[in-house]
Amino acid sequence: MSDRFDIAIVGAGVVGCAIARELSRYALRTVLIEARSDLGDGVSKGNSAVLSTGADTPFGTLECRLVARGHQRYLAEAPAMGLPVMPIGSLTVAWNETERERLEAMHKETVAAGFHSGQLVGADEIYRRVPHLSPGAVSAIWEPEEGIVDPFSTPYAYALDAVTNGVEFRSTCPVERAERRDGAWHLHTPKGEVVADTVINCGGLAGARIDAMAGYTDFVMRPRRGQFIVFDKSARPLLDVVLKPVPAPTYRGILMTPTVFGNILVGPTSEEIEDPDDWRVTREGLDTLVAAARKMLPRLLEHEVTATYCGIRPGTERPEYRIIPRPSDRWLTVGGIRSTGLSASLGIAEHVAGIVVGEMTKGERKLETTAVRVPSLAAGGDRPWLNGGADDAAYREIICHCEGITVGEVRDALASPLPPQSLKALKRRTRVMFGRCQGFFCGARVQALFDRLSKERPQ
Amino acid sequence: MTPEHADIVVVGAGPAGLAAAASLAGRGMHRILVVDRDDEAGGLPRFCHHPGFGWEYTHRLESGPGLVRRLLRALDPGIITIAIRTSALAVRPGPEIDIVGIECGHVRVRPRVVVLATGIRERPRSARLVPGRRPAEGILTTGQLQQMVARGVPVKGRRAVVVGTEHVAFSILLTARHAGLEIMAMVGAEDRVMSYAGAGLAARFLMGVPIHLSSKIEDIHGSERVESVTLCGPAGTRTIPCDTVIFSGDFIPDAALLPGSGIDIARVTAGPSVDQFGRTSAVGVFAAGNLLRAVETSGLAAIEGARVGTNVAAYLEGMLGWPRDAASIRVGDGLSYVVPQYWAPSAGLGGAVQALPVSLRALADIRRARLSLSEDGQAIWTGHPTKTLRHRRLALPAAALDRLRGGDIALRIDPA
Repeated sequence: MSDRFDIAIVGAGVVGCAIARELSRYALRTVLIEARSDLGDGVSKGNSAVLSTGADTPFGTLECRLVARGHQRYLAEAPAMGLPVMPIGSLTVAWNETERERLEAMHKETVAAGFHSGQLVGADEIYRRVPHLSPGAVSAIWEPEEGIVDPFSTPYAYALDAVTNGVEFRSTCPVERAERRDGAWHLHTPKGEVVADTVINCGGLAGARIDAMAGYTDFVMRPRRGQFIVFDKSARPLLDVVLKPVPAPTYRGILMTPTVFGNILVGPTSEEIEDPDDWRVTREGLDTLVAAARKMLPRLLEHEVTATYCGIRPGTERPEYRIIPRPSDRWLTVGGIRSTGLSASLGIAEHVAGIVVGEMTKGERKLETTAVRVPSLAAGGDRPWLNGGADDAAYREIICHCEGITVGEVRDALASPLPPQSLKALKRRTRVMFGRCQGFFCGARVQALFDRLSKERPQ
Repeated sequence: MTPEHADIVVVGAGPAGLAAAASLAGRGMHRILVVDRDDEAGGLPRFCHHPGFGWEYTHRLESGPGLVRRLLRALDPGIITIAIRTSALAVRPGPEIDIVGIECGHVRVRPRVVVLATGIRERPRSARLVPGRRPAEGILTTGQLQQMVARGVPVKGRRAVVVGTEHVAFSILLTARHAGLEIMAMVGAEDRVMSYAGAGLAARFLMGVPIHLSSKIEDIHGSERVESVTLCGPAGTRTIPCDTVIFSGDFIPDAALLPGSGIDIARVTAGPSVDQFGRTSAVGVFAAGNLLRAVETSGLAAIEGARVGTNVAAYLEGMLGWPRDAASIRVGDGLSYVVPQYWAPSAGLGGAVQALPVSLRALADIRRARLSLSEDGQAIWTGHPTKTLRHRRLALPAAALDRLRGGDIALRIDPA
């Protein structure tokens, strides 16, 4: 099997999916290929889901510019895709005089860099916003424009948009070899050869390895693992802002934040790991997170833990984005997208499309595109039994009780043009089994429904 | 009957909820709606096919599904409607209850009484903060595995490690064998088997299952499916190859309806705090069964349901009311919890009400301990010295509590 594409995007994480969506606006033949069976199943599945403004990234860098642009575009474009954005704001809290001095210096630099929304606030304002915060907070930067988003639906919405507008998606398609001949890249995969004029490598943790297949060795991976604890929804009234420590030069520290799903999240740790596939939560990591919760928001520990997880950030030997265009070779690397990929995704996509269309290939901007909308999974969002959907019995039967997900929503997810290929993908699409019982009540029924509907689906 | 017409809404069709409905009907109440979110009535026992369910209530040796059939047979469909595939979304003061169901759609109703009987669940791996990888397949609770087997969902594993040594851990040994799983080991954090010692001996010597006590899982390996677990215990660290890890026991009330309902939650049990009639702090809302605490037998849960049914009838006939006017029962050092948490004076109510059996737990094993009850500093009752075990119910005779007069009540346990 050999098709010739204008562009092949390698890696369907949040960045690859955003680029695919961006390029779907052009009259180009684009393919998005993913090694795993589902999109968003690597780096993109394990983050804090905070939409950063860019004010906490190194000023003057490409990362800072793309996070700021990504933030701006996300606020503008996500709601139309059905993606929830909750602009709850963040407090970066200083606990002593040394930290207060660092915070004030930080605030000056932030303003000088053009971020004007943050304000220095005192203890009164801090405790007004977070009454359950431990005593001893001295001052803080209140950043009203930071928010929280849905990290699982975001790459899905991008990919669905891309596919709806003509991009081809191929999963379970790991690139094993790349060669340039006859004026095109030939990517060898177990599902056959993908031929494309231009390749965009968004391989995440495999970024350097995929670059090396094409002969490029510009950077080496330095993966960092971040562990998280998700607390039960019963804890949600304790916190309604993103709570952050004053960052150290190399590590932004453990934050506490509500999630759009109504939980409270604590994390990440930051550990350099040798094996980029070391997706373990560790006793030390969990202890560190519990200790941080005890120190800042002790009442959190009165609540049950719903989930633990970790993410691995595809850092490189330099603390910056490694977006490397090679116009004459028609190979563009989008590497080193460390912890800000979700916030920056639409900024990166625009930046990359700007390089690709023009410098590396030619494509007319399409006059019309088809809009997509994904179901909102946010707490307090539209539930299918509340509106017209109640005419359909499947929208009146809840199958996942902790998250309140109906049989109808599971059925719809499986009928998507990008259907989940596994139970864990179904979890990310619908939140079934993601709640406090982790499948105790619904696991067997969900598995049975998934098996039945997957079998019935025309292949 | 639709929710709009119900006088009494019982949430949960497990042993407590079904027994409550039967007892309400027996007291002449009607327009009783039992809602259950699952696709059949019966609650957790319907997935447990071994005998030992409902003994205290039925005095018969029955399996879980056998108990459920018996409970359902006792219900007159003319008086009691059971609505399955129907979820309670929220309870608010009033009582007001939001329901969504396959038949009734989404409704908000104000019945005269709500009885909460939503039962328990097991803490999953995440809530136990067990380190290691999180493979997509092979990590289960016993509840999930029991349902998979009962529903004919294929269990793909071959070799399992069971975490926990409560009764349910031994129940799952039988289920797992039935599903074709070989049990590689049981792992208990405590220094003894939490179930009956005989269960441990049977597992060890009749089934050949090694039991590692005072041990914890330090690591889980495997990416798509579990490949092995690493244990840490007195004998050091060992890695056991397996493709399934079953987290058993460590039950917790499924109390999701409580936050925002106006119902006080007891810190230790994580369920609603109730008086001996099953009254919660919210007007018109009663609670029964294992929602009150994890965990008693299905028979005891059914007895609680039945008695709460009686007390609901007394409330609707104007004999009980709110505020509860009940004194809290303090538990002393060495005791974990007592349910009911409150005791109300009941003089003059006679047979119109029935007190819940007392659920009481000690924090530690004590070779010989004596339980005592006092009111306003005066000893009311002192038990015989007996062996006391954590996780095992401590007996407190109803007669002892009948003497209470509404003073400051305290329970304590002392080595004898």
